[in-house]
Amino acid sequence: MLEISNLTKRYGKFVALDGLNLHIDKGEIFGFVGPNGAGKTTTMRIICGLLKASGGSVLVDGVDALKRPDDIKRKVGYVPDFFGVYDNLKVMEYMEFYGSMYGMEKEDVDEIAVGLLELVNLADKQDTFVDTLSRGMKQRLCVARALIHNPELLILDEPNSGLDPRARFEMKEVLKNLGTMGKTILISSHILPELSEMCTSIGIMERGKLIVSGRVEEIMQKSMGIQPIHLRAMVPGMEADEAKAHVLTVLKEQPLVSGVSYAGEEYQIHYGGTEQQAAYLLKALVERNIMVSDFHREKENLEALFLEITNAAHAAQVHP
Amino acid sequence: MNKKFRMNPIMKKELVVGSRSIKMSIAILGINLFLTLIVILIMATTNLASGSSGYDYSALLMIFPVLGCVEVGLLSLIVPIITSGSISGEREKQTLEIMLTTPVTPFSIAAGKLGAAMTVVMMYMLSSIPVMSIAFVLGGMSWWALIGLIGILLYLGVYVGSVGVFCSSVVKKSIAATILTIAIGIGILVATSVIFYTWIGIWAYRESVGTAVSQPVLAPMVMMFNPYSPIFDFMLRSMTSTSVYGMIDNAWQTPALIGLIYKAWIPVSVALNLLVSLGFLKLAGRNISVTRNNKKRK
Ligand SMILES: Nc1ncnc2c1ncn2[C@@H]1O[C@H](COP(=O)(O)OP(=O)(O)O)[C@@H](O)[C@H]1O
Ligand SMILES: [Mg+2]
Repeated sequence: MLEISNLTKRYGKFVALDGLNLHIDKGEIFGFVGPNGAGKTTTMRIICGLLKASGGSVLVDGVDALKRPDDIKRKVGYVPDFFGVYDNLKVMEYMEFYGSMYGMEKEDVDEIAVGLLELVNLADKQDTFVDTLSRGMKQRLCVARALIHNPELLILDEPNSGLDPRARFEMKEVLKNLGTMGKTILISSHILPELSEMCTSIGIMERGKLIVSGRVEEIMQKSMGIQPIHLRAMVPGMEADEAKAHVLTVLKEQPLVSGVSYAGEEYQIHYGGTEQQAAYLLKALVERNIMVSDFHREKENLEALFLEITNAAHAAQVHP
Repeated sequence: MNKKFRMNPIMKKELVVGSRSIKMSIAILGINLFLTLIVILIMATTNLASGSSGYDYSALLMIFPVLGCVEVGLLSLIVPIITSGSISGEREKQTLEIMLTTPVTPFSIAAGKLGAAMTVVMMYMLSSIPVMSIAFVLGGMSWWALIGLIGILLYLGVYVGSVGVFCSSVVKKSIAATILTIAIGIGILVATSVIFYTWIGIWAYRESVGTAVSQPVLAPMVMMFNPYSPIFDFMLRSMTSTSVYGMIDNAWQTPALIGLIYKAWIPVSVALNLLVSLGFLKLAGRNISVTRNNKKRK
């Protein structure tokens, strides 16, 4: 559906996209993650034909987006990282306006718009003035607007930024619905966990390059290994300080432990082993006279994985 | 093919939004009050001027040129104002970007903005017809003069409007765009006049020193690019028995072919200037397609 190869974009000397490769299959919801300035918006704007690329190619449904931007415009719906609404225009008129720019007849637009407004939970707002809507509603209206011409690919740039939790939740529901409708969606965020719930695939971008990409399950798997194990423990017959020293010594003796920290009565163990091996770690502790009151692995945390990966990339860049 | 007539979507939206703003009604009211005031003033002058010798109608004859000039002047101010935010406003709201992701071309965005401005101009014109027609009847002008005036004002609206939309695509601030539009208008006015009079001046000098040179019959061609010249010709024709052609032919020996062009000053000049305004619209379209990120961010 979307095939980006070797895409580069330079702003003067600054390289914003550095040979980006990205592949998205039809019907996928692809989460495009990266810190601010990674080049997500730049990529999206190039796909939409708003920005000229410096090199590389973008194919949307087999059509070259860089050479035939006008054909792409009918295939892509774009929700930018801002609202773009008018004063003095009602919701339905807003939809009609965008529909008419695609050359659609008013009656057709109205019919489609009613369905789309229902989808984004704004069915009762048809006659409301756009500028009086809440942020969340405006954002959802923008999604409906971007779908008016029934695009094959929907691109959303940080649709959740600046929304309160309630509005975020509603947006997530809308996107999930879109997913079930079989639309191919490219959605960006600088926060990974936000995307993991609704995406089928994820790509992590950093400094104009895609560092990791794959199905959400695979990425989650990778994230498993790096979650610290939390431990609360005491040692009978020892003072607190003495007990702490003992626990730390024992932990550090264990082969798969790569690091231990202690904070708030709790040990955080960076442990490279599997769940079974972790059970042996617990056994080893108990055998060394350590009484464990709590032992659990931190919930899968994509954020941590994200930081890990981007840090690694930084390190690689600093020390080539 | 069953292709229905479709209004430019940008123009249509502009009209919906515009009809909801109170600004336009106030402006229309203001302009008509102003025109009425001028008519009353002229009529009062007529009364004062009539002494024992009877009623003096000569001041009434002033109604047409005065009202005509006032309308031309108002239009030259109003159109820059209504077009000044047309593109920059969309850019600021960032709706321009969204428009550019649709199949609508930048040129038709510019054209739609001009079209919307022109409908507003039409409203002004239509609303002022009652005052104008009373004045025209009193001033002894024909209906044709009124229709002609409206036509020529529409042409001027298109010209100034295109410059206005262009300026709005260049300058961010509405006030700056208004001023720039007026400045470009004055600039064209001054430039054409300067070229014209220099040309004639050089000829006059050469003739005075006795160098045999042919008459500068081509010099008035420059003035055809003066957007106000067809209006001048129109006023001249409606009020006197002469015309721009008459003036030129009086002064010099105009070859038949060139004379033909000068005889048709109004249509030729209007056509030329409409081409120029098309150029401004095209330039506006070019500027529209340059979006936020193509320019250096501040
Ligand atoms: N018009 C521009 N001129 C110069 N640099 C730009 C311009 N637009 C974006 N950039 C730079 O390109 C990089 C990528 O920006 P962007 O695509 O907006 O990142 P993201 O959306 O991932 O936060 C940033 O470092 C940004 O500063
Ligand atoms: Mg961004």
